[in-house]
This record gives sequence, C-alpha cells and structure tokens, in this order.
Amino acid sequence: MVTAITKGLSLAHEIYADRGKRVRELRKAGKKALGYICLYPPVELITALGLVPFRIFGDMSEPITAADRVSTTVVCPFLRSIIDLGLKGKFNFLDGIIGAHTCDIGMTMIIAFRDSSIETPFTHFIDVPHTDQASAVDYFEGQLNSFKRHLEEFAGEKITDDKLKKAVELHNKQRKLVRDLYDLRKSDPPMLTSMENLEIMVSLFSLPVEEGNDLLEEVIREVKVRKVTPSKKKARLLVWGPVFDNTSLYELIENADANVVVDDTCVGTRAFWADVKPPYDLHSIAQRYLVDIKCPRTYRQSEPGEIKRDYDKDLDSRFNYIKKAVTDWHVNGIILQSVKYCDTHGYEVPNLRHYFDKLGIPNIYIEHDYSERSLAPIKTRIEAFVETLG
Amino acid sequence: MLKEVSRLFFAGIDIGSTMSKAVIVDAAGVMRAYVVGPTGAEHRRRANKVMEDVMQKAGIILDEVAYIISTGYGRVNVPFADKQVTELTCHARGVSALFPDVKTAIDIGGQDAKVLKIKNGKLIDFLTNEKCAAGTGRFLEVAAETLGLDLNEMGRISLQTNTPVKINSLCTIFAQQEIISRLSEGQPLPDILAGVYIAVTTRVVKLARQLKVEPPVVFTGGVAKNVGMVKAMETVLGMPVLVPEEPLITGALGAAILARDQAFRLVQDGRLEMKKKELSEAYIDFVEKDR
Amino acid sequence: MSETSTPAKTEQKKAINRLKSMYPLRNVVQQDYINTLQASNEGKPTVWAMLNYWEGDLPLKAMGLNIVYPENYSTLLASSGSAEPFLDASDSDGFPTHMCGYGRSTIGYSYRMMKENNGKIPPDAPLGGMAKPALLVGSGIICDARFKWFQALARYFDAPEWCLESPMMAVEEGTEPDLDSYQVKFLVKQLRDFIAFLEKLVGRKMDWAKLEELIDLTVQIHETTWQISEMRRSIPGPMHSVDFWSSMPPALFLAGDMKVSLKCYQDMLEEVKERVRNKEAAINYPERYRLIFAELPPWHSLKFFDKLAEMGWNFVMESFGYHPPRPIDVSKYSDPCEKLARLSRNFMFNIYSEAKQDGISNAVVETYLKMARDFKADGFFLHPLISCRAASCSLRSVQHFEMERLDVPSLWVEGDIIDKRVFNPQEVLARAEAFEQTMDHYRKVRKSKGLDW
Repeated sequence: MVTAITKGLSLAHEIYADRGKRVRELRKAGKKALGYICLYPPVELITALGLVPFRIFGDMSEPITAADRVSTTVVCPFLRSIIDLGLKGKFNFLDGIIGAHTCDIGMTMIIAFRDSSIETPFTHFIDVPHTDQASAVDYFEGQLNSFKRHLEEFAGEKITDDKLKKAVELHNKQRKLVRDLYDLRKSDPPMLTSMENLEIMVSLFSLPVEEGNDLLEEVIREVKVRKVTPSKKKARLLVWGPVFDNTSLYELIENADANVVVDDTCVGTRAFWADVKPPYDLHSIAQRYLVDIKCPRTYRQSEPGEIKRDYDKDLDSRFNYIKKAVTDWHVNGIILQSVKYCDTHGYEVPNLRHYFDKLGIPNIYIEHDYSERSLAPIKTRIEAFVETLG
Repeated sequence: MLKEVSRLFFAGIDIGSTMSKAVIVDAAGVMRAYVVGPTGAEHRRRANKVMEDVMQKAGIILDEVAYIISTGYGRVNVPFADKQVTELTCHARGVSALFPDVKTAIDIGGQDAKVLKIKNGKLIDFLTNEKCAAGTGRFLEVAAETLGLDLNEMGRISLQTNTPVKINSLCTIFAQQEIISRLSEGQPLPDILAGVYIAVTTRVVKLARQLKVEPPVVFTGGVAKNVGMVKAMETVLGMPVLVPEEPLITGALGAAILARDQAFRLVQDGRLEMKKKELSEAYIDFVEKDR
Repeated sequence: MSETSTPAKTEQKKAINRLKSMYPLRNVVQQDYINTLQASNEGKPTVWAMLNYWEGDLPLKAMGLNIVYPENYSTLLASSGSAEPFLDASDSDGFPTHMCGYGRSTIGYSYRMMKENNGKIPPDAPLGGMAKPALLVGSGIICDARFKWFQALARYFDAPEWCLESPMMAVEEGTEPDLDSYQVKFLVKQLRDFIAFLEKLVGRKMDWAKLEELIDLTVQIHETTWQISEMRRSIPGPMHSVDFWSSMPPALFLAGDMKVSLKCYQDMLEEVKERVRNKEAAINYPERYRLIFAELPPWHSLKFFDKLAEMGWNFVMESFGYHPPRPIDVSKYSDPCEKLARLSRNFMFNIYSEAKQDGISNAVVETYLKMARDFKADGFFLHPLISCRAASCSLRSVQHFEMERLDVPSLWVEGDIIDKRVFNPQEVLARAEAFEQTMDHYRKVRKSKGLDW
C-alpha cells in the first residue's frame, strides 16, 4: 500500500517517537554517527566530516538498573539516566560518543563509559572552561583543535577551511530557521503548541543538519497556513531550566490551561539562539559556544574584573535576554524548572526569581526528578500557579 | 447583609487522599451544610455519595445546584463537576471566607502539607510538601500507633508540659525508634508527645518560612483539630493561630464559594442562563462588588 | 588475625593515639581565624576563598590579604554542633535543600549576618565567626558549586567575585603531549588577570618577591607532608585519619604563617618517624585492620572513629582531595605565575599518566588503587554524602575497581558532611562487625593470588 510521504509536523512526531531510526538507516548506507551530550561539543566539526551529530538524551520512562554500578543516586537524574542507558548498550547504535566538561556529573559520563565494558570505537572528552574570558576562549579553542585532530584521525580525512565554513553555514541556517519557527508563537494564540515545538527540536538533534533544515522549512510552511491552532488561553508562559526533553512535561503545563510560548532551556532556545560569527574558523566557533550560549554552568559577570558587585546590575546583565523574550513573546508568567540535585541551576534559582519578582513577572519554581511518576504532584502546583494568573 | 433568597445553591467537592468533603453554599455565599467521610479506594463512588449526603443534609435536590467545583487529589474523578480547581486555590478562598484578613494559611493533611500566601482573599504564592511523611499527619499516626494512644488523647496529654523532648530524626521510621528510646530512658510521656508535635510543626514551619510568615495565620487540616498541634504551632511560629470550627472543610468551602463566583461571572458574560426569577438580590449584590 | 580477642572496653584509655604535633597545626587554623577577625576590626579587608589548591591563595597572601575559607569554617560549624540554625536560614531563603552542606552553611551564615544581624557576625558563630567579605574567590576545580554559591551570595554582599580556573579532564585527553603548551599558557594568563584585578581592588602592586618566597615555602611544606604520607605506609600505621584531618588545613589552605606551618610539619615528620622506629600505632589497640577512608569525613561525628579504633580498625590513609601531591620541580621556570600554575595543576594531573597506563579513565579511582597497594589496605570505608556529588560520584567506581583489581572490599556508609541526622552510628557499627568477616575473607583471596597483604 502506498502511503503519503510523512513530512513536516507529522514527520517530527514520528522521529520524536523513535529518535534513532534515521541514524540507523544512514549507518546501513555507510554513514557514521557520533553521539554527544549537552550544547558544548561543536556539531560543525562533526558535520564537516560528513558524520551525523546525534545528541544524547535520557529516557524518563526507563527505570535505572545499571547506573548504580558507577554512580551514586544523589546525582542529576537526567545524566544518571544517560549513564544507565549507555551501560545497557542503548547507544551502541552510534559509532562513538563525545563527552565534555559541561558540569560535574556531565564530566563523569564519558569516564564512566570508558571504565565500563561497553564497546565504543570512538570517545572524546572536551574540557570546557568555567568562565567566558578571552583567555578561556583561547584555551577552549585549543581543546577544539585537539578534538578536531581526533575526529580527523577517526574519519580518515582532514577538515579543510572550506568544509568547516560550509558546515557552519548549514548550522547557522538551522539556527535562523528555528528562530523563525519560534516567531510563530508570538501571536495570541501561538501557532503551534510547545509539545509540537519540542518534537521538532528533538528531531533536529536526531538528523543530519540538511535534513533538519528541510524539516524546519516544511514545518514553518505548514504552520503558517494551518486552520486549527492551539486555543487562546489567559496564561502565556516561558519555561526556564536545564534539559526538558519530554513532551509530557510541556503537555502537563498546557493542560493546566496555559500556553508555553517560549523557553530558555537547552532543548530549545539555548541551542539555537546564537550564530557562529564570521570568520567561520575554530576561534569564532569557540567564541560562539563558550561565550554566546547562555547557560548557568558558565560563570558570567556584568563586568569582568569589577571591583564591586551590584546585585541588580549583575542580575540584569546576566538575564536581560529573558526579559527581552518576555516582552517579545508577551509572556505573563514564568515556570522555572530544574531537576533535583542540579547545582548549576539550583543555586541560580533564588536570585533569578528575585529578578523576575522585581520585574513584576509571576513565577514559580518546580523541581522534579526526571521520572514519569514525579509528574502528578507537579500538576497541582502548576494548575494552582496558572489559577493565580487568572 | 445579604438576604437568603431564591433556591439557588452551589457545591464544592474535595476528594482528598484520606478524606472526602462536600459543602453547599447558598447564593449569598453562606454555608448551608457540609459532609466529611473517608475517601477509600473508589473516588467516583465516593464523589457521588458525598454529593448525595450533603444535598440531603441541606434539604435540596441536584436541580437546585447551579454550579459544582471539584478539588483535591481526586478532583478528576468527579464526573458531574462543572469545573476542577486545585485545592490550593480553594483552600485560600475558603480560609478567606472565614477569616477575611488572613495572610498565611497552613494546612496539614494526612499525607501532605501546604502553606499558602494570601492577599485580599486571593492566593498569591504557595509551597507544598507531599514527599516526606515527617511533616504530615502520618507522623502523628505513627507516633500514636507506637505509643498505643488515641490521637485526641495524645493531644490532651501533651498539654500537661512545657518541656518538650527534642526529636531529631528526619525520617518517620527513625523517629519511631527515637520515641521508644526516650520512653525507655524514662522521659515523661507528656514531654515526648509535646516533642512529637513540635517535630511535625517545625518541619512545616520551615516550609512556611520560605514564604515569610505574615499574621494573621490560619491553621487548617484534620490535624488542626488536635490541641497539642495548635499549641506546638503557636510555639514554633511565635504567634497565635486561628483555627476554624471545622478545619477539614476549608477546601470544599472554598470550592463552593468559587463555584458561586464562577457561576455569576458566566451569567454576566451571558454564557450561563438563569431564569429571571433566579436573579436574586444576591447576584445583583455580587455584580456590584465585582465592578 | 581474626583470632585476636576484642580488647576490653573497661579501660579508660583513649582509643586513638593522637600525635602531639597535630595540636599546634590545628591551632594554626584556629589562630588564623582570630587574627583575621582582628585584622578586619582594624579595617583590613577579608577575603572569602574556596579551596583552590594554592592557585589563588598564594597571590592573595603575597598581597597581604587575610583569607578565611567558608568550606573549612563549615566543618567547624558541623563539628561544634552549631550548623543547624545556618542550614535552616539557607532553606528559608529559598535555596534548594539538597545543595552542599558547606554551601548551605555559608549561605545561611551570610543571610543571618546581613538580614538578621545588621551586617554583624551572628552571636552563635563559633571562634568568633567570619568577617564580612570584601572579595569572594571561587574556584572551578572539584565542583561547580564552588563558584555558583559565591555567585548567589550577591544577594547579601556587594563584594566582587573572581572565579579561578583549574582544568579537570579525563586522563586520556589529560595526557596528550601538546596539551601542556596551551593549557599552562591559559592558566598563567588568567593568574595574571587575577593579580591585575587584585592590584586594582587593593590599590597596591603585587610583591613578586614575596610571591616567589611563598611558592618556595609551599613546595617545602608539600615535600614535608608528602614524606609524612610515605611514612604512613608503615605497619602498624603511625598516624590516624582523624589526626590528618585536624592537621591538613595549613598545607591545603595554606592558612596562617607558612613558616610556622612548615616548622610544625617538620616536627610532625619527626614524630611520625619516631613512631615508625618504635612500631607505635595510631590506635591504642592492636591493629587488626587497615582501612582507607574516602572521601569527606563526617565532621559532625568524628568521635565515631574511637569506636572503630576499639575494634582494632586503624585508618591509615584517606581523602585524596586533601593530599597535596609530591611537588614537581618548578625551579626551571622563571615566571612565578608559571610555577604556580604548574604546581596547582599538578594536584589533579599528577596521576594521569599512571591511570592511562593502568587503563583507568577516572583519576580518582587510580589514586585509590595506588593507595590500597601502597598502604596495604584491608578495606575501604566509603562515605557517600547526600549533599556532595563531587566527593561521592566516583565512589561506586572506586568500590568496583578495588574489588576487581585488588580484591579489597568496601563498606558503604551513607552520610553527610554537615547534617548529622542522615548518619546512623548504631547501624554502621553493626555492619562494621560483619564487614570484618568480609575483610578476613578477602585477605585470604589476595594471598592466594600472590599479593602481599
């Protein structure tokens, strides 16, 4: 039976349900794919060699059975899930895994895999400095150079300046398309739900960059002309926090009579907001990743080497990009979410909430443990929060 | 003073994890009847039962109930409800109806605890604990079981002392062991019991302090009926607390009042029809206040 | 071995045979707090610093600044039983409760100082407390909390913060031949930036000669402490972990007058050598088992080790994070910043090559494997903490590899650095008794495999 070719939103939905499918197909056809965590391994370097970058996530529905051999329980449950999946061989369909010094536990992932019995033909660890100073960017560039050489060895070919430039252009194009997609949620009601958006984001992390760009172009076309849109709701929310990679969480919020219209998470805007600037060389790549990605794991201050810290100025310099999003997307409430045991985000929460309080934006902090059963108590709190906005 | 007018009623149903409650209010927002009973396993049947019971007590029939709001843990299992609202919003509303100046509400249930910050009758912020038994009624039940006492007895006995024993254990299970140790050490029973109440209260007040406790403070939940808990709460907070006559029903009461408000708003918007004779003075009065 | 009868508990003697030379070292730190408070009362600025493996300490000291270490101060709060009001204060200001006990204590301290005591030291703070900071020096090594929680303190203090960089890597990438060239360059550059910042903040120039002198003293101190550690290989173990924890701050935090510290450590080396000559043990009971402790001690319950000592358990080595490695020779570098960068970096990097050779990617695991061999450990006492991920996350791997490579068993005891409510001493003692049988068994296994302990 001949079926129509799935594309656009339906394709995103399909990919979200089985993320590894396309990579498995491509590998059969002779391509190689490398897994990576978080936002810091530069995907341009992988794409430049004709390899497929595949971002690794955890699985909220998979019970942890293997991670306890290498990790204690009081660690980030998202990363614990990744370690668990890895030890169970769930990433064996990839040709290698790239880790980085993203945060304390993120750092341990690649070490845990190397010290275990799982077979991974290629692994690499990228050290990411903690500050965004010029000297740190240079150091990070050195790390990327090392990574580049290792990749070249693995792929058996060099990354020429031209290949790199092409790869950067493709990924920058994707970032622009994502920003265009997010623009479609500025309207009231937004043109797509946050669940649909997440499925698209997750799909982008599961496809070669050109296929991701095609998907985005098709989705934008579809959404612009759709007749049935999400319903208009009083609450227009921004969701902030670390990895939020499952639609069930967004669904919970939207079922509580709210529309999530924009986010500041790493499976959302943090990954796509900033472009690599010209010249498209290793240094500008290092600059984009270390300095332009806004994540609490990097230490930022309003003025490097300031001899006095003004609380309000510090908060504004670090977070005014969120203020801008609130304005541009007409947001009237913010849900800060984080996983239990996350230090980088946990220490940020009280001051960030202060910032939002001072701006008069209602906000709530939800902590979950990245599992399906932690959702029920969150549901009531989110509903109550939305009720206070009404 | 709003007059009692036409037969127009509103219901709030609160299906909690241990207890179910229902409240009927009239068009003036005055409570006409309430019912409290154990929830059990079957939420839907329980919802029907409490609704029937409360209507019987109020002497009304379903046709006379214009709007029903369900709340609580089992609120999704009330098929005849017109709307579901969280127990957090409902408690805030109910407590404000009883104590209009309230700023902080602390509710300790059988399995959870809530702290609500209220301004002009509206919920503005909240915190909950539903993970740890140590700050809930469960802790008291465990203590009662351990000592072979009735919960009310426990409360009365604890009032005999002003020197509570410090219970250190974070965990309800360890606390059980600690209680037994203290007994065998020869600590007086009233002191131990007072210590148990202080332990539960301290846990909850810790949560409350994150929202900055402002008086007047209202204390609700089944546990608020216990004299020992009330004393502990006032001691730990360092301020008096107000306890409603029936501290279990504030959620259902709030739901019922919200049902009334919601119904009247829908009539205003033209989305709900009420026959002319039902447009009571109470409704007109509501519209005036709401402007 | 296991036929030795348990010593009678009726004796009045102390269980642990404490080194006389420990006390002056412990006093160095206590005195330093007092001196710093005095200096602050005279208007001199106080710096709050995280443990930064000398990278930040030495420039600060060379500039004549007084430093207190909140991480160290928190252990005092814990061991004196005064931590609770500070922990509660942190919770009440909205900080997640699963955060580091040191972090919670410090945040709570800052809250109580600024919001409850009008900028004055809370009256119940032990040892007179910590003066209000004029500068916060965070560090990226070991864990993220150590620059994030200082960042969060902006809500209480207008003191600026500097985040020191210290790389931590997997051993494979950490041993790449060309890493040195640009990594050291990076560390040197950021040290120079740090010094320029200090000069601007304090309004005077760096005393480079002083810095060189302090670097030299550091090398001498660490050479001495390394020798003390080497002496502890002796059977029976001459120095107990509790003595180490009490005496290590001057070497780790470089608190106080370093010339005084050096002399104290030299005295300690002599005392330990004497004990080795006389085969004198660190416990006043026959040494039945040699234990290694990882990672951070239960500061709130150090008396607990007395009970274990009564059972003949001698804790002969511990806590890799607190041991400065044998100092590398930096005399050939002319730039003091380069000397400092290399010395500091060596803390993490010293074991990378060995780990790589052994096929272990986790440097912490390799360190403990080496320890087990060198100190002939019968067992590991692993203490994962509910509030510290960095010091706990490798422990499962340590447990696994100690068993797989060396047939050394581990006792897994959960607890916390500050919060004593999580630690259950009765339960642990019961398990310890059973663990003795495990240790006996694996002694036999090791012997049968040709290992010599």
